[in-house]
Amino acid sequence: MKTAVTEPRWLRWLLIALALGFLALNLALPLIVVFAEAFRKGADAYLAAIRDPEALTALRLTLTVAAIAVPLNIVFGLAASWAIAKFDFRGKALLVTLIDLPFSVSPVVAGLIYVLLFGMQGWFGPWLRDHDVQIIFAVPGLVLATLFITFPFVARELIPLMEEQGREEEEAALSLGASGWATFRRVTLPNIRWGLLYGVLLCNARAMGEFGAVSVVSGHIRGKTNTLPLHIEILYNEYNFVAAFAVATLLAGLALVTLVVKSFLEWRYAEQLAGHGA
Amino acid sequence: MSLSAQNVVKRFGAFTALDGVSLDVGAGEFVALLGPSGSGKTTLLRILAGLEVPESGRIAIGDQDMSDTPARDRRVGFVFQHYALFRHMTVAENIAFGLTVRPRASRPSRAAIAARVAELLDLVQLAHIGARYPAQLSGGQRQRVALARALAVEPRILLLDEPFGALDAKVRKDLRRWLRDVHDRMGLTSVFVTHDQEEALDLADRVVVMDHGRIEQVDTPERVWDRPATAFVCDFLGGGNRIACTANAGLIDIAGVRLPNLAPPLPDGPADGFIRPHEFALAAPGHPGIAARLRRIQRTGPQAALEAVTDSGSIIEVSLSDPPADLAAGAELVLVPTAVRAYRAR
Repeated sequence: MKTAVTEPRWLRWLLIALALGFLALNLALPLIVVFAEAFRKGADAYLAAIRDPEALTALRLTLTVAAIAVPLNIVFGLAASWAIAKFDFRGKALLVTLIDLPFSVSPVVAGLIYVLLFGMQGWFGPWLRDHDVQIIFAVPGLVLATLFITFPFVARELIPLMEEQGREEEEAALSLGASGWATFRRVTLPNIRWGLLYGVLLCNARAMGEFGAVSVVSGHIRGKTNTLPLHIEILYNEYNFVAAFAVATLLAGLALVTLVVKSFLEWRYAEQLAGHGA
Repeated sequence: MSLSAQNVVKRFGAFTALDGVSLDVGAGEFVALLGPSGSGKTTLLRILAGLEVPESGRIAIGDQDMSDTPARDRRVGFVFQHYALFRHMTVAENIAFGLTVRPRASRPSRAAIAARVAELLDLVQLAHIGARYPAQLSGGQRQRVALARALAVEPRILLLDEPFGALDAKVRKDLRRWLRDVHDRMGLTSVFVTHDQEEALDLADRVVVMDHGRIEQVDTPERVWDRPATAFVCDFLGGGNRIACTANAGLIDIAGVRLPNLAPPLPDGPADGFIRPHEFALAAPGHPGIAARLRRIQRTGPQAALEAVTDSGSIIEVSLSDPPADLAAGAELVLVPTAVRAYRAR
């Protein structure tokens, strides 16, 4: 086939080989290692490791935290990008910077912020203790830290998309008598649904995989405040490699499910994606 | 339904988009807002629709004050410059939107909505493309869908922002006639924004000429063309040649030729005269008039476009019908103006 590409054949092959080699080395190999190590002592050891009550608690906790943090960040992300893309107001630049803050702050620092705020010695510590509310070393702390870390994903995905789409369709809806909510539900949301989906998938992946910030606020209480990544670390530190990698396959499995869902939706709605905007 | 704006002021930061604009549009009128970009015409249109909130001033529709009524309660149809069709909806869904979005109590039945959409698709001559998406339509088709969508809610007022701006010349001309026809048939009151003077003069009952956030003149197309109120209006509508002249006792003196002023009266003294290309006649040498050398002549049928250079080096464009057959470049001419619009010299 004749094409407009003029690069010599060897260069094209070199580039493709480089890209594939990099992928194999950095993505495929680790994934293979995870599964190989998990099954090193056979399927029984693997099953025992993931049937362990502490592992199941960690799995449940990870899913719970993601189930709370992701929907909240969908709402926050939508609100923030809506405000930034469709309205002009003072302090807009500051808000954009603030949205990026979780990307620029080390997750450990993010976790520490919450300890300093809500921990026993923190600003609100005494008040919380008097009212019998526990945030640090408990599920609320995990949710807060995860919320902070995963906040930018939805907003970052949506802001450029919404800015590119402009305000005219919303204005048209308003002039046709639509309420603000109807405009959002019937005009804005359908136009951004693909961007929103990617944002949610990214947000979810990070919420399940987050280690640093969660590690600081969790307290590592086995069977109580350990999420999957924390549980894996503990097992690994105890030289329990099979169990560590077995639990890691759960995490990898969650990531693969996310990818499959995304690919399926892209395949199912390929026409829409190609046809009329995002 | 009549429409009025009183003393509307709108600023964007340090930029004054509208500087105290007042306008009355009578019921059934078709009015053009004409001006260069940045003149405030689109801002005025958006304020009438409620899409922009003015710093001060009142807006009324009929005898109802609408200044504090949000866009969605004004029942004003708005056609956007780039149509702003809902890209994820079919043409039929787009047109039905204003009806399907109503609260349940006042929403027509599904069958009634479908009937209304079919009727509107017929009106805009697009009955066969109701199931297509906006991305699959041509510019002219999108324009008509946008219009049908705006008309679906039976607006009292129709506002159009550069309705023909993005279309090619042939489609534009057809749509113009058609839009005027729809306006007349449906008994609408319409205001449209344009920067194309020919379009405004061709289509509107009255033309509002704007510049720098102010209204320069509101008049019928004939009067705006024949009797421009200001030098800006005259120039913007194709004033032709600007020639220095003198106002004296109500007459305008151009190179010894004295003519009545077609512009509003002005005090004696130096003035800027505007003379359109067809407002010249040729005279024999020695006659009073503007002496110039013919540089170029272009004949098209009985018409000829001349380009002449005066002694001072300025270029004068002249359009003559039936010029002498031997007229050729290099000839010495005496150009006698037959009409002039003069304004105080700037």
